[in-house]
Amino acid sequence: MGEHLGEKLILTVKIGGYPISLDLITVLTSWLVMLILVLGALILRRGLRPPEEEPTKAQAFLEWVVGTLQRQLGAGFGSRELGRRLFPLVATIFLFVLLSNWLSIIPGLQSPTADLNVTLSLAIMVFLLSHYFGMRQKGLLGYAKGFIEPKMIFPLSLILNFAGELAKPISHSFRLFGNVLGGGILIGIIFSFMPLVVPAVLHAVYDLFIGAVQAIVFAFLAVTYINIAVER
Amino acid sequence: MQGITGPEIIAATKYLAAALAMGLGAMGPAIGEGFAAGKALEGMARQPEMRTDLLMSMLIGQAVTESTGIYSLVVALILLFVVG
Repeated sequence: MGEHLGEKLILTVKIGGYPISLDLITVLTSWLVMLILVLGALILRRGLRPPEEEPTKAQAFLEWVVGTLQRQLGAGFGSRELGRRLFPLVATIFLFVLLSNWLSIIPGLQSPTADLNVTLSLAIMVFLLSHYFGMRQKGLLGYAKGFIEPKMIFPLSLILNFAGELAKPISHSFRLFGNVLGGGILIGIIFSFMPLVVPAVLHAVYDLFIGAVQAIVFAFLAVTYINIAVER
Repeated sequence: MQGITGPEIIAATKYLAAALAMGLGAMGPAIGEGFAAGKALEGMARQPEMRTDLLMSMLIGQAVTESTGIYSLVVALILLFVVG
């Protein structure tokens, strides 16, 4: 698969005179992930029963999933109201990243998160959201003043704060991207000369375990970045 | 004997640089994560009822510490596949 690293199916579209190139594999696999999530949600929604009746096994499982997500991710927010507003977003980010990382187990498919565009767009979204909520919470002036803290070393603190803020989406996106792409390359290389048992084990370790851990870390850090921008 | 051409020097250097980047970059995160695991084990031994919480926090902390190792992986990949 190392040879495939350089090959991409690029579709170039001209919108309003500007050429926009799309990586077809990434777009199609992320649509597949979205399809699975939406269809899964719709199908599972049908089987829901009102609270008076005894829940089926599927419903109990679903309640456990949502409950755990709410406790781990939603409770990470400082204020309950922000948590309630943003919980769907963070849970969606987590589910999308989790399913994308796990998608490469299916032979022939590639994780959409193995493309920097996907992870970077998610990280930029979190970045913009954190600054938006920070500005809403503290007002434009209070928010801008936060960049000048601590005042003792004025020009230096501005530079440090800017650098710190810029480093967040970069590290956020590159962590997920590097983990998924690195695992994929490793599995591809091993697959090319030991196709029998070893790739299955590697898939279990790299895709399932590391994919799950990285999805948790990504969503958790998203919560933390928004929290940091709103507090202080 | 033919001289060594420019593209060959670039190819040789990029392989060497990629190997150095990944090799040296792998040392730091490994040490840090092992240290974190050791501390987590101490905590788990002291308070076995906190095992799950400690385990989760350890995994998350290690995943964040891993990121600089991942940066050097990305640099090595760029050197291998993007540099002419």
